[in-house]
Amino acid sequence: MKKFVSRRELLSLIAKTGASAAVLKASSAMGLVPDTQVNSIDIPSVNPVNRPTVVVLGAGISGLTVAYELDKAGYDCVILEAAPKAGGRCMTVRHGDLIDEVGNPQICEFDDEPHMYFNAGPARIPSAHRNLMRYCRELGVELEIFINENKEAYIQDDAMMKGKPIKNGTFTTNARGFMAEIMAKNFTGHELDQPLDQYEAESLIGAIRSFGDLREGNLYKGSTRGGYAHGGFIEHGVQKDVVAFAELLKTDFMRSILSANEGETGPVLFQPVGGMDKIVQGFTRKLQDKINYDVMVSSVNLNNGNGVVVDYEHRGMKYKIEADYCFNCIPSHLMTGIDNNFDADYIEALRYIRRGEAYKSAFQTKTRFWEKDDIYGGITWTKQPIQQIWYPPHGLFKEKGVILAAYDFGGGMHFTKLSQEERLETAIKQGLKVHPEYRDQVEKGITIAWHRMNHMLGCAARWQRDRSGMTLEEERLYHTLQQPAGGRHYMIGDQVSVHSAWQESAILSAHWAIKDMVNRQSTVKTTPVQKVS
Amino acid sequence: MKNLISRFSLALVFTLPMQVASVSAQQYDKLDLGSQPLSNKVCATCHGAYGVGNPIVGGPSLAGLEPWYLKRQLEGFRANYRGKEADYIPGQEMQASVARLSDEEIETLVAYIETWPAVEPEKTISGDANKGSALYANCAACHGINGEGNELLGAPALVGRDDWYMFRQLNLFKSGYRGGHPEDIYGQQMRASVQALQTAEDINNVLAYINTLN
Repeated sequence: MKKFVSRRELLSLIAKTGASAAVLKASSAMGLVPDTQVNSIDIPSVNPVNRPTVVVLGAGISGLTVAYELDKAGYDCVILEAAPKAGGRCMTVRHGDLIDEVGNPQICEFDDEPHMYFNAGPARIPSAHRNLMRYCRELGVELEIFINENKEAYIQDDAMMKGKPIKNGTFTTNARGFMAEIMAKNFTGHELDQPLDQYEAESLIGAIRSFGDLREGNLYKGSTRGGYAHGGFIEHGVQKDVVAFAELLKTDFMRSILSANEGETGPVLFQPVGGMDKIVQGFTRKLQDKINYDVMVSSVNLNNGNGVVVDYEHRGMKYKIEADYCFNCIPSHLMTGIDNNFDADYIEALRYIRRGEAYKSAFQTKTRFWEKDDIYGGITWTKQPIQQIWYPPHGLFKEKGVILAAYDFGGGMHFTKLSQEERLETAIKQGLKVHPEYRDQVEKGITIAWHRMNHMLGCAARWQRDRSGMTLEEERLYHTLQQPAGGRHYMIGDQVSVHSAWQESAILSAHWAIKDMVNRQSTVKTTPVQKVS
Repeated sequence: MKNLISRFSLALVFTLPMQVASVSAQQYDKLDLGSQPLSNKVCATCHGAYGVGNPIVGGPSLAGLEPWYLKRQLEGFRANYRGKEADYIPGQEMQASVARLSDEEIETLVAYIETWPAVEPEKTISGDANKGSALYANCAACHGINGEGNELLGAPALVGRDDWYMFRQLNLFKSGYRGGHPEDIYGQQMRASVQALQTAEDINNVLAYINTLN
């Protein structure tokens, strides 16, 4: 039996949640965008005659950051990279590129044009990620605006409107209108803990009315903020039909859509012109002769406090390299399969981290059909496993485009388990619920199951076993792994951060490790040797 | 720093092209993986450097496996009767990875893996080895009193293998995901035999006993 909530109960519910909503609001403004604190890193230059040697394992963003910064300061750096190209998960797929998925390698057959690319890993740069922004500036990486939220894109849930997609603008204006009406109807100063004077009360009711576009009597009668049904320029605009509140409540999208452009995915967001890997190319231009590709590390051993010894194989031959320091961004779950002499605590921490899943796919389309529907950039949200469709904010009015056809950022096993053909067909079928012309429009598809990508076997590291935050034990393991093994070997990457999956975290992890190394060096130099009795 | 890089041994350089790819027919010809020499890299992502194993990603150790057994399993994966278990990604990855290997390529791969030094597996199972000893009598008939294996009977050595992997395989044999295919003759024998282990505790106990063998 359906349980109805009385008016009194609803009021009490609103009152109770009012306080927590305010807290949530504050946290999305502050907590979700971590303050990155540092936007520069000073490393004392080293004596060119006796340069410390550094071996960097992995040419992901963190490894490139370490090599770039230490090279500038005069250190002697070498990067060993397993793949034939740098960047790790910062990967852009274009015409002719290999997507090296274990058991399912694909060659991208998109048209060979500059705008026909797909960012298979990170695809957005929040303006608050100021270290990444700084590298883009320093390395000459041209940026353009990335559009995350678009009121002309769609919201689709089989539970709502019989599965018919509605424009984001229609969804949000109606949701806000009804919510504002409830707030306004029940608004009287004396119901609040802190009585308001007349000015404050008017100010608040004014904000509520404006929030929901309320009419006379504080009633919601629809809004033109989500666009007109037609007209509006030469003829008077005709308002769209109101979507019943009961209809909107059939989906839980109101929880996420109303705040989709807040926090880390809030404006302003950027993307490098031509693909996210322009950042990688910016680094590799500076580090060209220092990166060795196609190298498989087979052991990493601490050399009795005198640095690190790394064994590796390259094109059928075995090599050994010794260095004063090692910075390692090999995924923790692959490092557990590489011989080493680390402490048990350190290995325990390495083994604790779970590998993320994450799945993306993309289609080349015959035309930019979404532009005919007034969509230029932005994201359509659906409750189907594809979850999102992204429209490219670049290449406007060109003949063709590449759209993101599926993005499961937290899971992805649904798709990972499917064959290539099934993955593509599933994405088409689900996309059809949003765009009836989808099947005819799709020309070529690619899929990226990060859980299966060669040399990675996972997406963003997961330190937490549940979502309630890191336990004390997890904190201990995290700090264990952050510290250098034997004072010489640093694990780096977004995997050694409390905010994985962002390039900024990879960079800050690299900065943390560099600073720790520098501090240890200066400690060694300035502290006189003391006798231990 | 270049002088720090010293080539300390010329490892096996194979000229036989290795294709580890499984792509759609149209795409397959375009992959140029064949130009790479056979190396540790083919297996290392999942099975660890030189096959030391990596339980975190579900890759058992390969170093020290008998070549005849390894060959049979690669053929089993290729024929799609191994790696079929629903919901188990590592098995499916393995299946897909070897699906297009030729007989010759399997021979080469097996010969290469044979050169990797055997590793002492980590013991992760806790069970009652005394109880396991009695249960092991059933296994000893094929796998040998000391778990040394018996090529004539097609039974691989159990000593030197990862206990977590054997735990998984015993359960797969019990459930029929392994040893349920008509072409998998040895697997069928194993599947019949393993029914003697009735509970998870039995399996833990017998593995605890195997962990005591040398």
